[in-house]
Amino acid sequence: MDYIVRIIPALLRGAGVTLALFALVLPLSLPLGFLVTLCTTCRFKPVKWLAEAYIFVLRGTPLMLQLFFFYYGLPFLPGIGPYLRLSSFAASALSFTLNYAAYFAEIFRGGLLSIDRGQYEVSHVLGLTPFQTMTRIIIPQMIRVTLPSVGNEAITLVKDTALVASIALPELLHYTQGLVTRDFTTTPFLVAAFIYLLITFVVTLLFKFAERKANYE
Amino acid sequence: MAMIEVKNLRKRFGDMEVLRDVSFAVEKGDVVAVIGSSGSGKSTLLRCLIGLEQVSGGSIRIDGSDLCRDGVYVSAAERKAIILRMGMVFQHFNLYPHLSVLKNLEIAPHLVKGRKGPELRAQAMELLKKVGLADRAGEMPGRLSGGQKQRVAIARALMMNPEILLFDEPTSALDPELTGEVLEVMRDLARERMTMIVVTHEMGFARDVASRVAFMDDGRILEEGAPEEIFTRPKEERTRAFLSRAKA
Ligand SMILES: Nc1ncnc2c1ncn2[C@@H]1O[C@H](COP(=O)(O)OP(=O)(O)OP(=O)(O)O)[C@@H](O)[C@H]1O
Ligand SMILES: [Mg+2]
Repeated sequence: MDYIVRIIPALLRGAGVTLALFALVLPLSLPLGFLVTLCTTCRFKPVKWLAEAYIFVLRGTPLMLQLFFFYYGLPFLPGIGPYLRLSSFAASALSFTLNYAAYFAEIFRGGLLSIDRGQYEVSHVLGLTPFQTMTRIIIPQMIRVTLPSVGNEAITLVKDTALVASIALPELLHYTQGLVTRDFTTTPFLVAAFIYLLITFVVTLLFKFAERKANYE
Repeated sequence: MAMIEVKNLRKRFGDMEVLRDVSFAVEKGDVVAVIGSSGSGKSTLLRCLIGLEQVSGGSIRIDGSDLCRDGVYVSAAERKAIILRMGMVFQHFNLYPHLSVLKNLEIAPHLVKGRKGPELRAQAMELLKKVGLADRAGEMPGRLSGGQKQRVAIARALMMNPEILLFDEPTSALDPELTGEVLEVMRDLARERMTMIVVTHEMGFARDVASRVAFMDDGRILEEGAPEEIFTRPKEERTRAFLSRAKA
């Protein structure tokens, strides 16, 4: 018990970085993902193709590889490389945001497809502009449809943050591993598991609450 | 001057001709029932009138203003102004499921015309009363019956103070016992001399309420006239065949 109390501060510091990453990536990747979704519906083909290629590449390659690319790979780019030396936190936030945006884009695309064409038609007939139709009619319905999947991704994101231990960003798993190898005990793993569970539990509750608020039936 | 004037209207989807040379005029206060078998182009005709489909040729004039002339449309701003003089009621209601009944009525006049406050609320409540749903103002659409939904949809269309109402099979998605309440509202509108075009399979309604009946067949208006003419002495063999099928 004493031991647990002693390691808690270090683990909490790590958990702080995990949460910071989560709190940065989620609000950035959601709008970016929606933007990509809109691009996939663009009538100007090159924009559509670019957005589809973006989704294809970022969902089709390992997140770990993308992380390595932004951390180790960018500085080797000819010419601009030396200016692209990112801190491990910046590289993590950037690669996670881009990666999650691709997943969210795919979720939102499904959400948009589930909305009846009649909603657009009646809005047109009533004189709403396309922008008003999107913001007042379509997006609110899309949010409700996609909230459960977005919540799932958010939980995956909490756990995926552990990947950044691989580029030595001192988050929860990084500290845990250090303690395990220093003290020859598995206890830190159990404590870390408990902290992850606590975070995912809170995230789950938040999304359940949001789902209830968004439910209009 | 006719309220709606359509000349030589054509509409193609790819190389399928859905409307072939449709011409007709609707006077103010007319109630025109459009009948005809499935796929004859009834919905497409309504959708062309209100700008949901782009015509392939011909002219549409609404109360003296061109919507399109010989297949060429007026500017987007003029088009919008003309479309706002019409309302449309759809087979599947198309209510906004995330908004209460009251908000369904208020959102378009608010966003499009900047109306708000007690004045807007008063009109919404008055129209809900008119369709018999004043007590459901706070309800979400998902909790209404089909007949109630369609009556809300009609009230929502009326909120924009249209001069013309288009109905595309307003009762076809309803259980038979719920069609009456919707037809009753439409009957009231006809009595108030609202100009209406109603695509319908309700022959009783066409006969009793419509001032004229148009029979569409294969992209054309094959025959039109007063209800008693069409229903008792149709000139065309195909009209007769359709009507005897509709009765059965
Ligand atoms: N967007 C579209 N693209 C291609 N074909 C279409 C489209 N809309 C309608 N059509 C075709 O046009 C023809 C006429 O359709 P329309 O919906 O106007 O018929 P309708 O008389 O309203 O039939 P119903 O009684 O079944 O509603 C049909 O053959 C239909 O398949
Ligand atoms: Mg139809």
